[in-house]
Amino acid sequence: MGSHSEPSGRAPSSATSLFSSFFSRPIPLYLSAALLRLVLLLYGLWQDANSPVKYTDIDYLVFTDAARFVSHGQGPYERETYRYTPILAWLLLPTAHKTGHALLDAALFSSGKVLFAAADLVAGRLIERILVKSMDAAAAREFAAIWLLNPMVATISTRGSSEGLLGVLVMALLSAVMARRITLAGLLLGFAVHFKIYPFIYAPAIVWWMDRENMGNGRPEAKKPSAAVPLLSKLTSFITPARLQLAAISLATFLALNMAMFTIYGPPFLQHTYLHHVTRIDHRHNFSPYNTQLYLASAFPATLFSSLSRIESVAFLPQLALSCVLIPLVLAKKDLPAAMLAQTFAFVTFNKVCTSQYFLWYMVLLPLYLPRSSFLGNKILGTTALALWVAAQGLWLQQGYQLEFLGTSTFLPGLWLASLGFFLVNCWILGIIIGDVGRRQFAI
Amino acid sequence: MRERITYVQKLGDSIEPSAITIEGGTIRGPEIHAALEDRLTIALRELPLELQVLLGDTRNLHIRWVSKAAYDAVSPLLARLPPGFHLFTTPGTEDVMSNRLCTTLSELFGDISCSTPAESFTSLPRDTSTQSTAFQYFQALDSLSHFIDYAKINLCPENDTSCSTRLDSLIRASSLDISYDAAQHVIRLTALWPYQRQPVHATSRPQYRTEVGILSVDKPKTLEAHEVGISGLLTVLGQDSKPSPTMFSFASRHRDARSSFSARFLTPTGLHPTLQLLLSSNQPPSSSPPHDDDGDTRCSPYAYLTLPRIVFADKYQLSDPLYLTSKNLTALRYITQPVDLEAPEYVMQQWGSAVLVELSPPPSPRGSSMQQWTAEIPLHLRYLTPAQGGYSTIDVPYPVVFWACEADEGTEFPPNPFEKANLGYDGLFNAGTVFWHVKPQPADSSSRLLVSSVRVPVLDLGKASWVNTGTAVAVMLGFVWVVWKLVAVYLRGGHEARAESEKKSQ
Repeated sequence: MGSHSEPSGRAPSSATSLFSSFFSRPIPLYLSAALLRLVLLLYGLWQDANSPVKYTDIDYLVFTDAARFVSHGQGPYERETYRYTPILAWLLLPTAHKTGHALLDAALFSSGKVLFAAADLVAGRLIERILVKSMDAAAAREFAAIWLLNPMVATISTRGSSEGLLGVLVMALLSAVMARRITLAGLLLGFAVHFKIYPFIYAPAIVWWMDRENMGNGRPEAKKPSAAVPLLSKLTSFITPARLQLAAISLATFLALNMAMFTIYGPPFLQHTYLHHVTRIDHRHNFSPYNTQLYLASAFPATLFSSLSRIESVAFLPQLALSCVLIPLVLAKKDLPAAMLAQTFAFVTFNKVCTSQYFLWYMVLLPLYLPRSSFLGNKILGTTALALWVAAQGLWLQQGYQLEFLGTSTFLPGLWLASLGFFLVNCWILGIIIGDVGRRQFAI
Repeated sequence: MRERITYVQKLGDSIEPSAITIEGGTIRGPEIHAALEDRLTIALRELPLELQVLLGDTRNLHIRWVSKAAYDAVSPLLARLPPGFHLFTTPGTEDVMSNRLCTTLSELFGDISCSTPAESFTSLPRDTSTQSTAFQYFQALDSLSHFIDYAKINLCPENDTSCSTRLDSLIRASSLDISYDAAQHVIRLTALWPYQRQPVHATSRPQYRTEVGILSVDKPKTLEAHEVGISGLLTVLGQDSKPSPTMFSFASRHRDARSSFSARFLTPTGLHPTLQLLLSSNQPPSSSPPHDDDGDTRCSPYAYLTLPRIVFADKYQLSDPLYLTSKNLTALRYITQPVDLEAPEYVMQQWGSAVLVELSPPPSPRGSSMQQWTAEIPLHLRYLTPAQGGYSTIDVPYPVVFWACEADEGTEFPPNPFEKANLGYDGLFNAGTVFWHVKPQPADSSSRLLVSSVRVPVLDLGKASWVNTGTAVAVMLGFVWVVWKLVAVYLRGGHEARAESEKKSQ
């Protein structure tokens, strides 16, 4: 890498030097990440005020409506389609505040977006902190920029989607675990699961990772042929104080939050935050491979198809087997961040419902894996994977556009095949991620 | 039981008494251009027992069927509703609606798809007046043929062919109202035939009193702005030997705006069809009260929609002023609560939703007095049951469009002989509001129907046989590939982090 002092006679080297000086200090990166979001936020305000087509995401209106209900002493679930923890509505309480001053009110209304954008920056900073353990700070910032300067991430949070909050929670959880701060990790895990359910998949990976070796107390366990170790002693050596502590604290946090919310808001809290996900039928078209089958099954409950074994009724099996058992078991001890990426990727890919917001769930973990991935090592592989991922999505979006806006019946075969194609591309990418984590052992 | 038959002609048309012949119980006259209203008033005890029991449980019940064929109306028979089967009701003292109501409705009208009142009906906003109704139901119903068959069997005396013949004429009616009010212990059946050329002809029946009116709209000098004048001839069959002239006036809440509109869906419709209303005039009705003291007009155009559950409006989308303005809308004034924004059509029991939107006419350019304009109502489709071919066509009934004008303070609208109340939208306005109806014109002149069709894309059942297997195979393929990669990693390096040094070295 070039440095500032290097004489820069040629254009490429001056570009390189600009590039490296941008990452040599934290300020330029974080300032431009913040500026990017500020510009998008202001642009959004302008578009909302001047165009019938809104920049602000529908979800943000749901959150802020819910916050308004809360500020009037009602429950957030008075707002239809509010399916989140009340804490989100509480966080957005300032948006419900009215001063009568137009400019101030606009700023207050945007305070939730500012919060989400700030969460992006904090998540980026945590990415850098984890990366810096295995590379120099400038390189760490280069990879953190994949998240921080990602226009998709910045757009999603400034449009008012709360996924950025999940990003910061997951990165904070990972940092706490890697810093062996068990209490903090337990609190974060319990809170994250309360917030959005899916982070529960990280629990088995973290617990499995937290062996005596990784927790840094004592020497590495003696390598014995595993058959020689009696099962019982294997089991007792698995149960460590640290693991018990994490389990107890995360479970207590999760339960305490739920009991508190239930006490305040009653059955609607349970119904909308959790039970809704059990009863929802997910018939509307989305990226999930199960989508077409779910539409069919919901329209003909237990008649036309009841004799056949229906794949969607066991959809949770491959999803949970991969994301909660197999991937944590095989990968967590080798590379916890990459294992969590693979888990999230598997969870989203095999989920019964999948929209582009879910991609953010694994995108935040991507910078931690990419530096040593074969996608960057092998440019052709990397370009192919990215191109396939984009193309498969594009194909689906094209079919979806025809359905949604032109009214063409593309459910079969177009949308169905496109979702299966996208699913298989994702599986292929997931396979390579898994292979990378395994191969790294031999790359010493 | 008693009957009232009324021919209503337009202003300026009238008939000479000499042109009428009355012989015994029969009245005959020349062909005239008129709308025909036939009203039967039946005491509760004269009804079939099952209906008596059912009505005994209700405080009021109004069934209003409107034909989807376009028809010409004439003052004062102007009150309109979207085509289809409407029901407004209030349960009795028990405050619960009998589940038999839905089955009885099916027996009477045929294809009525309500499951139980609790599941299928929607609540109307609570009103303090005792006249208002508490629940609403609507669905498309193309024809009264099932009702005609039911009535022939259950209402006509045996071997009475003239009774059946008269019931058969209902097939050409524009609307049928069946109203019951517990306070009066009577049920009123009012059928309306469109304004057209027809001979004057009626025969009395021995069992009851029949009154025939041949009327036309009149404008006596004493008529006040909020009143409708009527003059013509009245005859009580079997009693009068010649028609007696009459003239009267009354305050009417339903008036003619003397303009028209048509409705169609903008193409492509997609899953979010926009209903475009094309209105012939952006000016308030000429005879309506022009301006307030402070110069504001007291009239606004509105559209009232009864949307079958396949299609719905999103109240959140219709709350942004900029968005509304871009569609020439002022505001969403009423929408049935709640409206599920996500559920597919086939899991819902609720009939659908009623929507009242205030429209925002663009001002006329300087110099021109009247201007055609459009308003657009954005709607959303639910997913429908999969079908062969991949498409289902659904008909959305025309809305009713009217200018609502506030009458002068203190103006009263006592019940009049042609009164029609409980229409769904009248309860959403002050009692002093006058509805100036804009005439619906079919968008498609060949079909003459007051419905807008949408072709809804659905999953093509003909191609669905491979979906379960294909999905299963793809998921298995993906799963096996990922598991295989995991097994390969495990076989090469187990599940432990082998090299302690690795973390340090990187």
